[in-house]
Amino acid sequence: MNRLHLKKTFVLLLLPGLIFLLFFFLTPLLFVLVESFKGPDGGITLIRYREVLTDAQFRLVFARTLKMALIVTPIAVLVGYPSAYLMTKLPAAKKSILMSLVILPLMTSPVARTYAWIVILGKYGIVNQTLTSIGILKEPVRLMYTEGAIIVGLLQLFLPIMILTLVSAMENVQDEVEEAALSLGSGKAGCFFRVIVPLSFDGLIMGVTLVFTGSITAYVTPAILGGAKVLTLSTLMRQEALVLMNWEAATVIAVIMILTTLILYNGLRLFKPRTLV
Amino acid sequence: MKKSKLLIFITIVMFVFLLGPFLVIIISSFSNNAVMRFPPEGFSLQWYNKVLNIEMFRTTFWMSLKTGLAATLTALILGVPVAYTNVRYRYPGKSALEIFFSSPAIVPGLVIGFSLLRFFIYVTKIPVLTGLYLGHTAILFPYTVRVVSASLRNFDRGIEEAAVSLGSSPVHAFFAVVLPNIQSGLIAAFILAFITSFNNVPVSLFLTGPGVATLPIQMLVYMEYYFDPTISALSSILIVLTIIIIQSAEKLLGISKYM
Repeated sequence: MNRLHLKKTFVLLLLPGLIFLLFFFLTPLLFVLVESFKGPDGGITLIRYREVLTDAQFRLVFARTLKMALIVTPIAVLVGYPSAYLMTKLPAAKKSILMSLVILPLMTSPVARTYAWIVILGKYGIVNQTLTSIGILKEPVRLMYTEGAIIVGLLQLFLPIMILTLVSAMENVQDEVEEAALSLGSGKAGCFFRVIVPLSFDGLIMGVTLVFTGSITAYVTPAILGGAKVLTLSTLMRQEALVLMNWEAATVIAVIMILTTLILYNGLRLFKPRTLV
Repeated sequence: MKKSKLLIFITIVMFVFLLGPFLVIIISSFSNNAVMRFPPEGFSLQWYNKVLNIEMFRTTFWMSLKTGLAATLTALILGVPVAYTNVRYRYPGKSALEIFFSSPAIVPGLVIGFSLLRFFIYVTKIPVLTGLYLGHTAILFPYTVRVVSASLRNFDRGIEEAAVSLGSSPVHAFFAVVLPNIQSGLIAAFILAFITSFNNVPVSLFLTGPGVATLPIQMLVYMEYYFDPTISALSSILIVLTIIIIQSAEKLLGISKYM
């Protein structure tokens, strides 16, 4: 194949996907972005942003959403790292079984998966029934529609992603490196923190990015476990658009959600070069 | 030794936390209480019977199935050539383009659905169902590119070059040699993309209208009004179906390596 032919081919191969995304993904997003700056008279204005950003409820919801992501992510790391490490050390057959158990919740309908927490945390759910029957509680307490319930749901949602990312990062750490560290007098904990963690740091950053941005934009979990009582950015956006019919506010929240995601996504990637060069 | 006991303990707790809720939901689906109560006071199959008799669940199930199949096929048709260029060609601006191609997986699904609603349905007046199909195709596209790229990287390029040097046209070589060799990657991409579409809520949330809703959206609507274990029964059916699909896909294709 000559160069020209090669060029033509690869443009032809890229074109359908490119055109599709330009039309049906980028154009609508840009439209929403432009709309968010459009004033009632058609001119450019920041008035919609001022309205949303000075709104007390929005501020509360934005801070709460960030706070929950800040709680969920470190717990996912603390639980995910040891589990992922153990799984990489298992023989292939056992590891494969455990991996498919980690994947199962990821592939299950989020509505079904989250609904389970209603059964567990509801008024007559497992926790309340157990605590009242052994006498710790006199009557059922409200566990549903709380920040705690959302955090628990988010953890179940994102632990598998953290574990998968860490497992694939740690698979690249060769056993010999670890053995060398141990034989040179490093303790097991020392070896873990000074060899395994630095060598799988890229995976850790990737996992943290996915879990953090995912927690901020998740919809099903806060919709079911928080309801209208404990709103997050995404459930607030839905409420503004579909319940209050305040499309302007929903548009601004949509832009804020994209910006938050992009800033986090790219910001966390800045940590990457610090690892191994 | 002590350390590894701690590791095992954390891992077991993690799996109980991850999978326990599934057991809870399946048990609760056989309850005979009309209000969600755990443990159930008795056994019955009435909620399964009820699920099958609610028409909205049947129609939205078919709509999810059709949307998922159409979007998955489209995403594959668009994604396979892009995956091929990812693996085979080097060109200026490639990494920027790769980021663009993966962006539907980064932009929040809620915002994708919202922008499609605002732009296409209000401005260009396309039907909601078309918007739903387009939105699903957009989010599945990065999946198909990633999975098919991974599978192309494992395919020995020499075989394709041999076919071309023996007189096969590059197009013919692609269909006769490359595609059959990445078959399991294609099937894995199909399964992963379809399940992603079938389970999706954020993109579908805004793309519903009269007569247009997907099954997960219908489940959310139902849950707002009823507290009986119907959703438990429906969820159990979905969980069992997922287990069957994932287990067979893992056995036949080793699907976990594509995730």
